[in-house]
Amino acid sequence: MAENTIRKIKWFFPWQDEQEEAWLRSMSQRGWHLASVGLPCTYRFRAGEQMDYIYRLDYQTFPEKDKQEYQQLFRDAGWEYIGEMSAWQYFRKEVKEEEPLEIFTDVESKIAKYKRILAFLWLFWVVLIVVIPVRGISMDDPYPWWGAIQAIQVFALLIWLFFTYAVIRLMLRIRQLRKL
Amino acid sequence: MLRDDTDKYLPLTESTYYIMLTLVDPLHGYAVMKKIEEISKGTVKVGPGTLYGAFTLLEKEALIVKVKEEDRRKSYVLTPKGKNVLMNQIKRLEIMTQSGLSVIDML
Repeated sequence: MAENTIRKIKWFFPWQDEQEEAWLRSMSQRGWHLASVGLPCTYRFRAGEQMDYIYRLDYQTFPEKDKQEYQQLFRDAGWEYIGEMSAWQYFRKEVKEEEPLEIFTDVESKIAKYKRILAFLWLFWVVLIVVIPVRGISMDDPYPWWGAIQAIQVFALLIWLFFTYAVIRLMLRIRQLRKL
Repeated sequence: MLRDDTDKYLPLTESTYYIMLTLVDPLHGYAVMKKIEEISKGTVKVGPGTLYGAFTLLEKEALIVKVKEEDRRKSYVLTPKGKNVLMNQIKRLEIMTQSGLSVIDML
């Protein structure tokens, strides 16, 4: 890794995308510009002049061929594409007067973005519901891997609780937007 | 008037309405944004996130169709079903405007 880059690992919940955008902007204002994103929650910044860049996040999944069209549309509208982190698409633009600073220009499309995340969360939520209640094995069964199965179940249950929480938080976010 | 199922799309959001208006002739994304700014006299600006979402949705509902692709830019145009939806929306807006104008003196 080059000397003038730093790597940060930072966790944001899906309903905290605006905080994430604000954090990326504050990094740029201090001269650290987002160069790439990756898993797990990894941000690579490159040193440069202090700039007022704003960052905007979209959530989209699509086949490779549609990616080109998608990125071109944003480029045409003056947005620089930075990268993708598990379906989150990162864009940036320099703050100037007379320049639109939003990629979503109405509440409906903002809500639609959160609904796309929700659709994904629901899918996992349902899968976990199926995985968690593995029954039919009593405590007395002499399976040596019983402990492991139990551990997986507890783990799955914890993840399921987290997903439930995430679904509720996203629904509240949508409700909050609807009131605007 | 012919009864159809296009009413379920109404009312269109302001952005969707303007996007559909520009797609009477085939246009690609950025041209749609520019044209909306022009015909709405600067009152409506549609960002790329909003536009891409609308394209996806309208295409899925077969209200628009892709007609051309060059330099990674796809052009879309209204389908007959799309035209129908737009026509019904315009009629609704006309009624809304007339209702408004009829009370404007009382305001």
